[in-house]
Order: sequence, then structure tokens, then C-alpha cells
Amino acid sequence: MYQPLLTNRYLASRVIPFIAVAAVALCVALVIIVVSVMTGFLNLVKNSGRTLMGDVVVTYPVSGIAHYERLIEMVNELDDVEASSPIVDSWGLLKMPYPDGPGKEIKYIQFWGIEPETFAAVTGYADTLYWKPPTEEKRAMMRDDDFRKRIADDFGEDILERFAEAGRTLQITPADPNDNEPRPAISMGIHVSAGNDRQRDGSYEPAIGGYWFMPKFEVTLTTIPVFDGAIGDSESYIFPVANEFVSGVFLIDDKRVMIPLDIAQKMMHLDEAKTYNDLTEEEGIDPARATMVLIRGKEGVEPIALRDQVAKVYDRFHVEHLGDVPKRGLNLKVMTWEQQQANFIGPIEKERELMRTLFMLIYLVCAGLVLAIFWAIVYEKTRDIGILRSVGASRLGISWIFLRYGFVVGVMGAILGFGLGYLVVHNINNIHDAMGHPPRWLVGSLSVLAVICALLTIVRSRTGRLLPVVVGTMTTLLLTIVALGVYIIRARGGIVIWDPEVYYFTEIPNDVDVGSAIITMVGAVIFSLIGAFVPAAKAADTDPVKALRYE
Amino acid sequence: MSEFLIEGESLHKTYQMGRVDVPVLRGASIHVREGEWVAVLGASGSGKSTLLHLLGDLDRPDPDAGIIRFEGNTIQDKSNRRRNHFRNREVGFVFQFYHLLPELTVIENTMLPSLVGLNRFKYYPRREALRTRAKELLTSFGLDHRFSHRPRELSGGERQRVAIARALMNEPAVLLADEPTGNLDEHTGGEILDLLAEQHRAGLTVVMVTHDVSIANRADRVVELRGGQVVEEEAISHKP
Repeated sequence: MYQPLLTNRYLASRVIPFIAVAAVALCVALVIIVVSVMTGFLNLVKNSGRTLMGDVVVTYPVSGIAHYERLIEMVNELDDVEASSPIVDSWGLLKMPYPDGPGKEIKYIQFWGIEPETFAAVTGYADTLYWKPPTEEKRAMMRDDDFRKRIADDFGEDILERFAEAGRTLQITPADPNDNEPRPAISMGIHVSAGNDRQRDGSYEPAIGGYWFMPKFEVTLTTIPVFDGAIGDSESYIFPVANEFVSGVFLIDDKRVMIPLDIAQKMMHLDEAKTYNDLTEEEGIDPARATMVLIRGKEGVEPIALRDQVAKVYDRFHVEHLGDVPKRGLNLKVMTWEQQQANFIGPIEKERELMRTLFMLIYLVCAGLVLAIFWAIVYEKTRDIGILRSVGASRLGISWIFLRYGFVVGVMGAILGFGLGYLVVHNINNIHDAMGHPPRWLVGSLSVLAVICALLTIVRSRTGRLLPVVVGTMTTLLLTIVALGVYIIRARGGIVIWDPEVYYFTEIPNDVDVGSAIITMVGAVIFSLIGAFVPAAKAADTDPVKALRYE
Repeated sequence: MSEFLIEGESLHKTYQMGRVDVPVLRGASIHVREGEWVAVLGASGSGKSTLLHLLGDLDRPDPDAGIIRFEGNTIQDKSNRRRNHFRNREVGFVFQFYHLLPELTVIENTMLPSLVGLNRFKYYPRREALRTRAKELLTSFGLDHRFSHRPRELSGGERQRVAIARALMNEPAVLLADEPTGNLDEHTGGEILDLLAEQHRAGLTVVMVTHDVSIANRADRVVELRGGQVVEEEAISHKP
């Protein structure tokens, strides 16, 4: 019964256990932050992959799959399939409207020819469009000077709906339908245009007060078709910009544009064409082709199971169109989106596990700290051990005091560490912004604190004691160095720590990986206990007579 | 049933100081009857504290070198659990330097033997009764205004009274006092001895170690220890 009382009193009456608690908390927080960000990053990759590609992909690059409409029809007959959509995927050059030196900037991009309606059913494309009316909830969170609010103020509330409609359909309908035909349009990743500046709240502001707002302009897409193993002449097409989209994956937002499927087929010479014999007699029709077919399964359907079903369908399709379509194999592949992204996802998964394993070493730090601190406490409490033995405490009972103590330190450290980790992960983007662009007041506050600390150190040095001088000097130096660092960062116009060009995503993942957090917390408690075992055994072995004589 | 409440028979104890063996007790024997107050007198280093520690099972004699008996039963034959129980219930220690736990209040220090001896299931139903017992002891020792104070806030005499209250908390059969006045001035030491005498009159068996003849003379009987052996026993006739 005495152990809880003594554990509490020993804990409450000295600072050193709280240093152990703080150390354990920092270790736990560090692991939680690192693993959460890594897991969040991996989840983002996986989720964005599925959102952007559906569950299963049938690909046959360059040459394309003939009779793809029939394949889609057969696939859609499967009970587990929600929707399918054809894609023509290729690379090209995009002439931007803004100048780069004397001429216009040319950007190397990937274009996808899509059927907007089926593509939206397979992917979350419609939701990724940026220039669209915000929901009430989103509007409430938007800044007053957000560009979307400004154009709604200037051109009426329905302007954003018109952009959204143009983005969804990839065509721009003139105000008066009698004037002109609707024009095929392009939808671009938000970072394709250098004119879109990402703001700290995640919104985008077209450069020069909104002047370089892309939906005002036209762009020219140029590509070189490849057919029958030969490279053809370049093909160009001028598109008005319908909208821009934000997938959240920087690689895609920086490089991909969407155009109507039929235009892409024409540009790549994958559209339906007559075939001729000896270039004179009409022989037949070469059907239109698509380089990919994206397939989304119904909710709850496993991608691998769906892939197997689609593979069987493709095999039947191949038999049906023997000679026109390739056999499943080296170039024609039926894959889950995860398999298609395997080269990307695999290393990240391995990296996360490596990080998790390396950071587990931190547990040894927990154990070592608790051991060292408790060793000192047992040493200090030697006489108490003798007293307790003299009133009948058993050796096991004595050791239990220190094991409880280790347990309490571990639990407190784990809970505090979780809290700290949660706060950091939850606010990691704000912290990142603040670190990258530290506010001016921070420099001032740190400088003032450094001066106050220096003055206090000078005053305390008159007492002749060394400890306050050492602590004061170290704190002053630390504050000065941090203030200087913050000043330098500000002077350089801020730094980008999480560069989206390196990490693919524009935002740092900020969801705590609860499973890993719980494992980390339990690990910290166990290793704190392990650290307490040795001092507890020493306490149990203490000779009560020697302990009572201990001064 | 043994004639003696607690006894030590031919006790040998050797301590190791570095590489040198230092014999402290060389066949010392002591026999204490129930209700007796025995003073163990001796110079510093004579082994009197060691004898007390052996009697209270806080220390063990050299292997096969002496027997400690309580109510006729050999302590060394008992299990560790029974021996812990013996220290908890049958003996109460009072030390020269009080040895109170600095983190605990006066009342918690007094209750320490009960806290050690009872698990939570046995302690909680009896908690109020135990608190009352501790308060009564402290009040009878003139410490009723000190219940929630910490040891550092007490004088030396007050600390020693708390230590005696702690030793008596579980109503032990024998009180083992090691120089209980050694760290106190004469007046305060006298008060402490009066307190012990009072407990003795109430029927408590006391074994007290001292180097001071005048203090030893407060006991019923004085046992002198010299060179690790009992050399003289003297019954005191001038009892107050």
C-alpha cells in the first residue's frame, strides 16, 4: 500500500523525474511526427492514385487499343464495375500565353484525352476543378480577397459556375449559340501555369493582380504522333483554357492537361481512319484507339479481384478481335492502380518501415534515460530503503516502488508525447509556413527575451554562484542564435522546407497515424519499465543496515 | 513456551572492510524477558548496534554462528515473508538519527508500518481506524499540532517522538532503540527516555543501545558489550 504513496511523493518532490518524462515525451512525439507524416504521405500517394486513375487500368501505350468501346462495353457488364473511361495519353509542348523573354513560354507537358463524363465517373476529376463556386462551408473559410470571390464580385456569381461547366465538359459554349459552335477546351493542372501563385492558406492567386488568370487565355498544344513505328509530322491545336484543376499531387498539377478525347485521337493519329490498298483502293476502316482504359469498381470491391475479372474480360475481347488487338503480356497490361504506381509506392513504403525501425532506437534512449535518472534516485533514496526494510518492507516491495515509478514516467511521457505529436502533426503546415516565413514579431520578441535574459544573468552573477551564470549565458546564446537564424530566414525572403517539387504534394500530410502512435506509446512505457528494472533491482539488493548508515 | 521473549545466542558477526574481515560480535548472547527494559551498554564499535540489528532481523549473523529466537522460535528458520512480517508486527525500531521519510508528513510517517504491512484491500477498510490510532499516538506524544508537517519542519526531539510513534504503530512486542537520545540535548533526551519509560510501564519490552551509563541506568537491566562479547550483566535496583 505504501508504493503508490511513495511513487507519487517521489515524483512530486523533485524535478529530475520530470526531465525523464520530458525526454520520453520528446522521443514519443518525434516518432509519432515522423511516422505520421510518412504514413500520411504514403496514404496521399495511394488515395490520389485511386482518385486520379480508378481501380484498374488497361494500358497499351503509343499504339492504343482498337475497339476500346467494345472493351468498355464488356467491362461495364461486370457486376463489380461502376464505370470505365478511355484515355489517350501522350506528351507534348504547350505554348503558354505569357512571355518568356521575347517569345512565349513553351512547357513540356503530359496530355490526357478524356471523355469528360465517363472520366468524371471513374475519377474524382470534377471535384478537382479549382475555378468553381465554393461550398458555403468553404466560402466561410476563404479570405475576403480570395481571387474566386473577387471575380464573382466583378463578373457575377455565375461566372464560376460557367468555368466549372467548361471544365467538366471541356468545351466553351459561346454566350450566343448562333454566333459560333462550342469550342473544345483544355483543362490544365494548376501549376502548369507559372502565373498561379500558391498562397499560404492553400488558395491560388493569378499573378499581377489576377491578370494571368488562365481561363482568359488560349494555349497551343503541339505533339508528334507516332504510328506504325514511324514518327509523323507535328500536330498543333489551339485551345481556350476552360479551367484548372488541383489534384494535390504536384507532379500531376505541374505537368498534366486534359483535352477532349476526339481531339487527342486526331492529334495522335489514333482516330478512326480508312485504310487503303496500295494507296489507291479503300480496304477498310481502322478503328479509333485509346492508350488506356480506366476502370472504377463498386464500393468495397478489392482492386486485385477486379483486376482478375477485367483480365478475363480482356482475354475474351482479344479472342473476339483476334488480329486487331494485342494479347495480354509485355506491352498490354491489366493492372491495379497500385501496381501501376508500384515503382513509386514501393520505395516509400520501404522508406517508412526503415524510418520506423531506426526511430525505434529512440526507445533505447528512453530506457537509458530512465535507467540513469532512476539510478541516481535510488542512490539518493538509499536511506529510505533501509527505513522501509526496518518496518518490514520486502525486497520485492521496494523494487516495485521504482518499477511503478518507471511505469508512471513512461505513461506520463507517452501521453504528453502523444499530445505534443498530435499538436505538431495537426498544425504541421502552419508550423512549416511559420518556419519558412517567420513573422517579424518573432525576431523582435526573441531579441527582447535574449536581452532580458542577459541582464538577469548579469544581475544573478553578483551572487557569486556559477549555476545561474552558466544557465543564463546558455539561454541568452540560444535565444540570440535562434533570433539571428529567424532574421536571416526573413532577410532571404523565407525558405521552403517542404518543397512540393521534391515531395510531390503541395501540403504536408497532417493526420496522426493512430495505430503507430499507440504502438509508440506502448513501446515507450515498456522501455521506461525496462530502464527502471536495473535501479529497482539495485534498490532490492540494498543492505538495510548499510542503507541506514548511509549519509 | 520460552522463558524469554527475544534472545540472541552465541552471535557472531563479521564485516568486510575492503579486503579485511572485521569481527564485530564474537559469540555475544542476550536474553530478554517479556516486559523487561534492557540496556546494551558499550563503547563505540563494540557491536551494540549490530546486536540490535540482529535481534530485529535487520541484519543476519554469520552463517552457522548464532541463533535469534522470538518467543522460542528461531527467526532464521522462517521464510522471508514471515521475517518481513516479524519486522513489521513484532518489533519496532527507533534510531539515533530518527530516520523519517522526508517526503511523508508526520502522520504518514507514523502510519508507515501499517501501510507497509497491509495491501490495499486490507488497508482501505481499516484506514480510518489506523489514522485514529496514529493521531492518538502523536497526540499522546504532544504532537497533535504537527500531523501534516514534514520532518524538516520539526525539532530533533519532535522527530524522535514521531519515530517512536512509528515504532509503536503496529503495537509491537518489543521496541529496539539504537541510541535514541544520541542526537539530542540532555533535556530533550530526558523527555524521550521518560516517554520510553512510560511505554515500558504500560508493558512494552524495550531493548535500548547506549554508550552512556546514566542513560543505561534508566533500564531494568544493563548488558555490557566489550570486544564483541557480553562481559557483564547488571540488574538495576534503583528503578524510578
